[in-house]
Amino acid sequence: MNPIRAKTSHIPKPSALTKPFWDAAKQKKLVIQYDPDSRCYQWWPRALSVKTGKMNLEWKEVSGNGTLHSYTVTHVPAAGFEDRAPYLVGLVELDEGVRIISNLSGVTEANVKIGMPLRVTWEELTDDINLFSFEPRNMP
Amino acid sequence: MNDNFLRSKDIAIIAYGETKLERRSGKSPYELASQVAAELLGKTNLTPKDIDGFATTVAMSECTNPFYSNFCVDYLGLSPRWLQTTDLGGCSAAGSVARAAAAIMAGLCETVMLISADAPSTRMGQSYGGYRSEFFEPTGIQGPPGAFGLLMHRYMQEYELKFEALGKLAVAQREGAVLNPNAYEKNRVPITVEDYLTARMVSSPLRLLDSVMYCDGANGLIITSTSRAKKMRANKMVHPVAYAEITNFDCANMTPDITESGFSVVGPEALRKAGLSPKDICSFHPYDDFLIAEMLQLEQIGFCGRGEGSRFLLDTDVSCKGTLPINTGGGQISAGQPGLAGGGLNLVEGVRQLFGEAGQRQVKNSGNAMVTGIGVIPYGRNWGTSCVLILEA
Repeated sequence: MNPIRAKTSHIPKPSALTKPFWDAAKQKKLVIQYDPDSRCYQWWPRALSVKTGKMNLEWKEVSGNGTLHSYTVTHVPAAGFEDRAPYLVGLVELDEGVRIISNLSGVTEANVKIGMPLRVTWEELTDDINLFSFEPRNMP
Repeated sequence: MNDNFLRSKDIAIIAYGETKLERRSGKSPYELASQVAAELLGKTNLTPKDIDGFATTVAMSECTNPFYSNFCVDYLGLSPRWLQTTDLGGCSAAGSVARAAAAIMAGLCETVMLISADAPSTRMGQSYGGYRSEFFEPTGIQGPPGAFGLLMHRYMQEYELKFEALGKLAVAQREGAVLNPNAYEKNRVPITVEDYLTARMVSSPLRLLDSVMYCDGANGLIITSTSRAKKMRANKMVHPVAYAEITNFDCANMTPDITESGFSVVGPEALRKAGLSPKDICSFHPYDDFLIAEMLQLEQIGFCGRGEGSRFLLDTDVSCKGTLPINTGGGQISAGQPGLAGGGLNLVEGVRQLFGEAGQRQVKNSGNAMVTGIGVIPYGRNWGTSCVLILEA
């Protein structure tokens, strides 16, 4: 269990709808909802497609690769994240065409760069919940 | 769709009211609303019985109460035939003017009291559902400053952002707060561009003086038909002449331009409805949760081109004596943000300027005013609701 997050209330609580996402995350696999009609991925999890209004979304595993669309260095931390500050939060554009807000790991304010290639990595928050994070793709 | 139901100036705003902004006042939004209600009734010689419509905006400090508007009118002794709570965040006040106008013109009511009141520095009650607790908060993103930090860095990637331009705006608004007796008292001291540039970093590149600070306070208007206003011999009135609003702009696009907002739609639309161009606007009262939001509005409403906001601010006198006065009472950034009542702060200042009652910060040309709202920070995109209201004398 992560010693920082354990104290916080920011442990995701899966619902019936989001359970497939967190089940996959436990296996360190990133799955995103896919709309077969528009052939587009859609993020964050919903019960219907925002393009067609149909309830026919499918969970699909994605590459986990993306690029950094933007970032912010959080100096005044959100409650429960005091021990981490300053920390990076990024808006990551996946190769599959959705953007995810995520922690960034293995990168600092000194070498972060918009457009840098990233890949998903996992932070074990609890025995059941792995939270996605993104790190530079060229890391060893 | 009727192109502009406000064109004929059938609706009049005949009074405004506003409390001083305080930190940790210990007051409830009902107490703060009472102060504004008393001021509005006193200025118009109306009694509670004369108010047959009531509009309010969701309060963070009381949003756990699912019957908020009912509790408000019960507290204030009103018996409205039309009652509405609006939850468009910073668009709620200006949006309520349009909704009240529609209700009056539809015959649902005749005289509307609009009050926005909130006390988030005393009590915070909000809790978000949807994706927030599962996919947003666990990342540690620092709420609105975090979202605007992402937005600013992306803007800097695409365009040139000169921080001294934002600093100039911060200084001008602070001059307004110094001249505004209702501003939060501790903010009624001048600042310099250097103060802005060296302020504490919150969520980079966004600094402390880019941001609002929560205060407690309330504000409001009396809105009625122009014919009733004339019958009442209202000594002052201004008219809402154009309104445009959009929520969830470009929403089905999973990779939107996060520097673009709904103002690129509603800005030009409101101006067209009013038959005005940006250079005709006498004073501009943009929603100002963050300085960068004002710059984006300048660009997207059309005061300048995309990416030209820094140059425009550096070249333009935006003080109350200038060619485009902006947020003359300090705006939320310098006067203080009374939580979700904050949209009403700049609205009331716009009305005050058109009434010619802004004292030392009175603008020279008060033929019209543009007031805007921004509502809600969504996930990884620009803001949720954008609205533009144009007032004319």
